[in-house]
Amino acid sequence: MIGGRTFRSRLLVGTGKYKDNATMVRALEASGADVVTVAVRRISLDRTKEEGILFHLDPSRFFLLANTAGCYSAEDAMRYARLAREAGFNEFIKLEVIGDQKTLLPDVAGLLEAARTLVKEGFTVMAYTNDDLVTALRLEEAGCAAVMPLASPIGSGLGLLNPYTIRTIKARLTVPVIVDAGVGTASDACVTMEQGVDGLLMNTALAEARDPVAMAHAMRLATEAGRAAYLAGRMARREVALPSSPTTGMLS
Amino acid sequence: MIAQLPRLHAVTDDRVAARGGLVERAAEMASVAGPRLAVHLRTRALTGAEQLGLARSLGAALAVHGSWLVVNDRVDVARAVGARAVALGRAGLSARDARRVAPEIPVARSVHDAAEARAAEGENADFLIAGAIFETASHPGGPVAGPALIEVAAAGGLQVIAIGGLTPANTPAALDAGAWGVAGIRALWDAADPAEAARAFLAVLPAAASIAVTVNGESRAMAEGITLSGLLEQLGLDPRAVVVEHNRHIVRRDGLAQVTLAGGDVVELVHFVGGG
Repeated sequence: MIGGRTFRSRLLVGTGKYKDNATMVRALEASGADVVTVAVRRISLDRTKEEGILFHLDPSRFFLLANTAGCYSAEDAMRYARLAREAGFNEFIKLEVIGDQKTLLPDVAGLLEAARTLVKEGFTVMAYTNDDLVTALRLEEAGCAAVMPLASPIGSGLGLLNPYTIRTIKARLTVPVIVDAGVGTASDACVTMEQGVDGLLMNTALAEARDPVAMAHAMRLATEAGRAAYLAGRMARREVALPSSPTTGMLS
Repeated sequence: MIAQLPRLHAVTDDRVAARGGLVERAAEMASVAGPRLAVHLRTRALTGAEQLGLARSLGAALAVHGSWLVVNDRVDVARAVGARAVALGRAGLSARDARRVAPEIPVARSVHDAAEARAAEGENADFLIAGAIFETASHPGGPVAGPALIEVAAAGGLQVIAIGGLTPANTPAALDAGAWGVAGIRALWDAADPAEAARAFLAVLPAAASIAVTVNGESRAMAEGITLSGLLEQLGLDPRAVVVEHNRHIVRRDGLAQVTLAGGDVVELVHFVGGG
């Protein structure tokens, strides 16, 4: 449940970097996701380059979540958000304000500024941010519908680097926490979901897998497994062994 | 001086307005002529409401291509539909009266001799429609002023549209006499192929001035007077599949036909692509 809308899957997926559109569509289907992210870019005027994603994606089947990827200032991100909304699908925006080209880590000052303005303009803002509790709290105060801390940098596949910060953010926020970026394989997805977060967004882990469709299936299972394990409640960690079999009734 | 005043004017009469297919024929001409065409809705037979309804559909069909809708005499209808100009006949309101009703709409006045031309200038009309220049099929043997009337009308400095018996063959004579453009009734509306007839006129009329517009970062030469919807049409883009930003302002789909581009304008055309 984000911004008053209910989604079935806790896995959200991106649509970028696939080797072809047919593979992308099959991977989306295998992932079971209902929310898919898209980017806003100039249309190609010479008509020879690739067509828009809507030629391949059925917008009645998937919920299109536009992002502001590639924006390096609050102003740019707001401009892209407004253009995305004008496409007429929904008022959701995955807000990214990037602060550093090498790591693609967010510019949290710009992010907060853009989030405040866009919320006032009626957007349902889902903010991509650092795994920093204070920023997450400020984003929630700004009226964001979801906060999306990273597991590790975008496209890195390094997995969940700091489970503690993610757990802390989840514990303190009321709005949904969706971990966005950094997941590399199914175990990463599972461990991330085991922290109790509400959802997971990934793109490169599927698009760059040897078999994106099979990986999408694995990620779907891992997301569900991680969530189920979180709900089940893990056993306590202890530093000593404890036998699983009865210590009584042994033969003399 | 109205820099963007079209050079070709397709003027209706009651006969043309009453028969079916008016909007379709206008759209065919507009698709080849774009901002170089003005269609004048001139009818006395229709009621105000009928005329307004027709003007609305005509205006919508023309606006897509950047062509003008001019409403004759009914300033109220012109204002209600946002016509690009109003043309006043001999029996109509004065230009001064029309301005009181619709101060923002340019006013054309029909003139038939030097005295009427001077009177129209005195009323501050914006341009003149002078005729009949040549003999017409509708009034065979009727009074014909000849190109001399154009010279007389243009002497006051207003732009003159020549009307009455104009064809692509005699259009150069009208232009030589100082006409800004020409108007046709039967020559356009009765043609088997109105688009072809419009094209024949355009071939002998001055070309539209060119403006440079930046579209998605590339500078492109466009005909002066082109609208955003005309730009999309020229690029072969479906307005439903693109979001348009004009000088940093988003323009809604239903407003594309209302925005006329100027030199130096910056247009961004975006859509959704794959992304994370």
